[in-house]
Amino acid sequence: MSSRYALVAALVAVFAFFSVATTTFLTPGNLESILVNNFALLAIVSLGMTLAIAAGGIDLSVGTAIDIASLIFVSAVAAHVAMPLAVLGGLAGGLLVGAFNAGLIAGLRITPFLATLGTLFIGQSVQQLSTSGGQPIYLITGHVPPVFAFIGHGTVLGIPFAMIVVGGCAAIFATILGRSLFGRRVEALGAQPGVAWYSGLRVSRDTAWVYLLGSLVCAIAGILLSCTVRAYVPLSGNAYLLNAIGATFLGTTFSRVGRPNVAGTLLGVLLLNIVANGLLLIGWNFYWQQVGSGVLIFLVLVVSFGGGRARSTRAA
Amino acid sequence: MPDTVQSHIALPVDVAVPRSRAADTARTLVRAGSLLAFVAVFAAFAAAAPGFLSAGNLANVVGQSAVIGVLALGMTLVVVAGGNDVVRGGIDLSVANNLGLCAAVYATGLGAGWGDGAALAATALAGLLVGAVNAVSVVWLGILPLLATLAAMNVCAGLELVLTHNTVVAASSPLLDVLSGEYPAGVPVLGEVLLGVAALLAVVLHLTPAGLRLYAVGGHREAARAAGLPVASYVAASYLGSGLCAAVASVLSVALLSGSTTGSGDMLLAAVVTALLGVVFSRRLVATIPGTLLSALFIGILINGFQLLNISSYWVNGVQGVLILLVVAATSMLRPNAG
Amino acid sequence: MTRPDQASPLALEMRDLVKDFAGVRALDHANLRVGRGTVHGLIGQNGAGKSTLIKLLAGIHAPDAGTIAVEGAVQSRLTPHRAEELGIHFIHQDRLLVPTFTVAESLFLGAEPRRFGLPWLNGGAMRRRAATILRETFGVDLPAGALVGELSAAQQQLVQISRALLNRPTILVFDEPTAALVRREVDSLFGVIGRLRAQGITIVYISHYLHEIGEICDAVTVMRNGADVGTVHPRTTPAADLVSMMVARDIHDMFPRRHRTAGPPVLSVTGLRAAGAFENVSLTVRRGEIVGMTGLVGSGAKDVLRCLFGLQRPDAGRIEIEGARIGGRSPSAAVAGGLALVPEDRRGHGVALSLSVRENTTIASLDRFARGPLIDRAAERSEVDRLIRDLAIKTPGREAAVRNLSGGNQQKVVLAKWLSRQSNLYLLDEPTVGVDVGAKVEIYRLIDELAGKGAGILVLSADLLELLGLCDRILVMYRGRIVHDGPAAATDSDTLLMHATGAGAVVHA
Repeated sequence: MSSRYALVAALVAVFAFFSVATTTFLTPGNLESILVNNFALLAIVSLGMTLAIAAGGIDLSVGTAIDIASLIFVSAVAAHVAMPLAVLGGLAGGLLVGAFNAGLIAGLRITPFLATLGTLFIGQSVQQLSTSGGQPIYLITGHVPPVFAFIGHGTVLGIPFAMIVVGGCAAIFATILGRSLFGRRVEALGAQPGVAWYSGLRVSRDTAWVYLLGSLVCAIAGILLSCTVRAYVPLSGNAYLLNAIGATFLGTTFSRVGRPNVAGTLLGVLLLNIVANGLLLIGWNFYWQQVGSGVLIFLVLVVSFGGGRARSTRAA
Repeated sequence: MPDTVQSHIALPVDVAVPRSRAADTARTLVRAGSLLAFVAVFAAFAAAAPGFLSAGNLANVVGQSAVIGVLALGMTLVVVAGGNDVVRGGIDLSVANNLGLCAAVYATGLGAGWGDGAALAATALAGLLVGAVNAVSVVWLGILPLLATLAAMNVCAGLELVLTHNTVVAASSPLLDVLSGEYPAGVPVLGEVLLGVAALLAVVLHLTPAGLRLYAVGGHREAARAAGLPVASYVAASYLGSGLCAAVASVLSVALLSGSTTGSGDMLLAAVVTALLGVVFSRRLVATIPGTLLSALFIGILINGFQLLNISSYWVNGVQGVLILLVVAATSMLRPNAG
Repeated sequence: MTRPDQASPLALEMRDLVKDFAGVRALDHANLRVGRGTVHGLIGQNGAGKSTLIKLLAGIHAPDAGTIAVEGAVQSRLTPHRAEELGIHFIHQDRLLVPTFTVAESLFLGAEPRRFGLPWLNGGAMRRRAATILRETFGVDLPAGALVGELSAAQQQLVQISRALLNRPTILVFDEPTAALVRREVDSLFGVIGRLRAQGITIVYISHYLHEIGEICDAVTVMRNGADVGTVHPRTTPAADLVSMMVARDIHDMFPRRHRTAGPPVLSVTGLRAAGAFENVSLTVRRGEIVGMTGLVGSGAKDVLRCLFGLQRPDAGRIEIEGARIGGRSPSAAVAGGLALVPEDRRGHGVALSLSVRENTTIASLDRFARGPLIDRAAERSEVDRLIRDLAIKTPGREAAVRNLSGGNQQKVVLAKWLSRQSNLYLLDEPTVGVDVGAKVEIYRLIDELAGKGAGILVLSADLLELLGLCDRILVMYRGRIVHDGPAAATDSDTLLMHATGAGAVVHA
């Protein structure tokens, strides 16, 4: 289907356009900035979203997991807790959010949209109450361990550390979703939950893992974010929510069968980031840039859903 | 002869078994329980917080619930026409940013020296236009409502920024003076607008054939089609209605804040929760106009009561979150099965 | 056999209709002539072509050849809309009603009573008129304010019928309308049909029940293998003759019967009980044995199957597979114990339509293809290819979405899913529902082969001929108890029916 390549075509087109239209787009500095400053965090968060949507659900509480992880991590560092412990604490905090979701969705059978919406609201209260209404926690430069700077801005063999994390997470998620037994069960769950149940799959257990894994990557994103900005800023994770959903659904157009997939999601994230960056460079201000990316997402959706609709009517 | 005919080829498939009344009773309990909770919270505040019961304070609650209330009423229309499944059914994620855009249009219009009439017309047009885009993408392009309105939301957010440059655009006009005032003394006009809009929508949705058909479209699309209803037009109309509600809410918001404001997008999830919470106030466990109004007022009362009792307002979100989980857990067990 | 009087002018004449679906001939020169103002029965086995004929009349499909004439006028382009204009209305088995609507709202949706001609709902009038209509047409006091979702299936059916009557039809087609009704409701329905005939409305009545046909029809057309095999007068035609018209002599050729010897028990159930559903059920299925089970809905037969597969929690009793007790706690425990279920709701529980044949086939047996936590894709592919070949699944390929397969081939994919799992005991719930005759024969052959290879098989079916043809032994349930358990060869459909309807209980008492 031609619509399958709408996403790639859009990506190539905007890349080519901005390379020609600006002198600054196609420079190593700018490309690295896109990847490290914009792509990395959204990509990690979107991986968790991809898994949730593949399982037929959705996770509106990604921001909560990011924030809680960041809150615990930064508080621990500020209290001079050893770095590995602080990281573990952050990850545990994120997992707690996932476990709460898992309990609601797999245990109480609340629909994912509403369950994670509830989590999001409760998470907002928790953060406001523990920061006297949203006071950020800043880490003073001299008092943070050096590894902090490395996580935030360091490189290994010239590759930014954040990108290594993205690459690792993406590889793991791609393997999970595309190759593993668990991934296949998740696909079945997303395609037709009744069939999964009647085929003897342990639906609750798999569902719980979906939300746990999702919150784990969000926690990783939260820790990366904290290292980059050297602070915990309450309620900052929500900024990733809608873009993560958008990128995941853009990514489904890349799959031959229209399912969420890791490669497509990453392409979707990249498209959103390149457009945002490129529009800025050709002199559109931040405001028009928002409009531009909105319209672009819309166009990709039109192309892919238009194709999907035509397919389904032909089949009927 | 018929009596001797015994050779059936197949057995009867089903024998009517009258359904128990237990589900009905339980549903009544949930509804009564939520009304009771409403009353209990009300009574607790009345007892604990001096001044809570004063007419002025209560009128204030209604006034302060106006913006989110009107927004949630618009969302209710989409939920009714789209059905209860939030992901595949009806949802309009663009309402809050549509409000932001409309507020920007109205404020900048006034700032450019347009009269109230022209500025209002432009605002309504902007709201309807966003609704129309949603309608086209959902109904005719077949894009999932969640995604289509998500894209519209982004575009609205951008356009708002373009108009306001991310600043507060102060606005004043005779209409705004009226809206932000009190008439008669002590009764905020904003609250009256909320009640007026709710009354109007309640009439349309609950007292006209069109309203009934909207419920049919959302409740069982195939049944609506079989009844010969133009399903697409009804769904499209719900998005237009939601867009217009966002425009109305934007004018209220400008009146409340004396100008356009940034960060309107934060109201989205509150609007979703308000519309969904309202479900418990209906006998059929569906979204209704009175239900949404009640739930908007309930949240308004919570915020107000917490303020009076010096409880941190930071609890409000959490309480809303717990409420939505309780409501969903209760209703999902009790919703009548599809026929 | 006497020909019914065809002197009255024809309201409907369907001539020489031919319809192929994906190479399968559903209608093979079928004819139906219905006199105006008569009640005309249409009978035939599942897959005989009744429903295809009706879909052509409804304008849902267009015939490949042949003509349809309504009141003498040939309708070359029949659409659902055109059919409605002609006054042809249908009462389908599946109820198209909004669950959150009241009875009154459901009746009048699309034609609501208004106040003063304004777009203003007259709720009071709607409720009153609904109550009147229900009372007068059915003699039932269905509360007009009750929610449809809370009504029983029978009550919902009444709402559906009342709704069609409001449209003042000229031809009314009932598609097995009594399937969900109890006797008193059937009687009032027949009263309604009698009155409609008196008003000059033409009625086509599709049913499985021959006594109903005899009771109310003026003529009956029997269909078999996509063609009409005769139109007779039901009151003067013995039921046995109707049956032999419906069932071609070659019906027994549909069922392969290989010589099998039953081995040791694979499933043994003792004292199983589920409160309100069934009591003290004990049964055994042996290796290489095909056991049939039947009973009216409410007899508990379905609940037994659900308990065996862990879909429903029994209150007492033991379920053993190959001597090992299984908990009956969840389908996953049942599957781990070697059970397989081919569910009745194929699209909701059997196959995931959007997944490929490969993914559907291996979903229950992924562990077989495990290489650590990953899937050994080569092994998976070769197993799926083998099953596609063995079961002769007609598919464009192993990667094709199951949506693109016919009902029969989808059912084969469900069987393949459990074959890949190498299950010991197969629970088949209405295994040939919605499957064309050709695929039916193949599915019977597969079931027989499975038993031949030593699997135990328990078939739940309402189709008695299917059970008689396929099974070694047949159990009948009535009001939560097994009332008959005997070899298929020693019984017939009359006996089974007697037991299923409770008439047999007297004999045993």
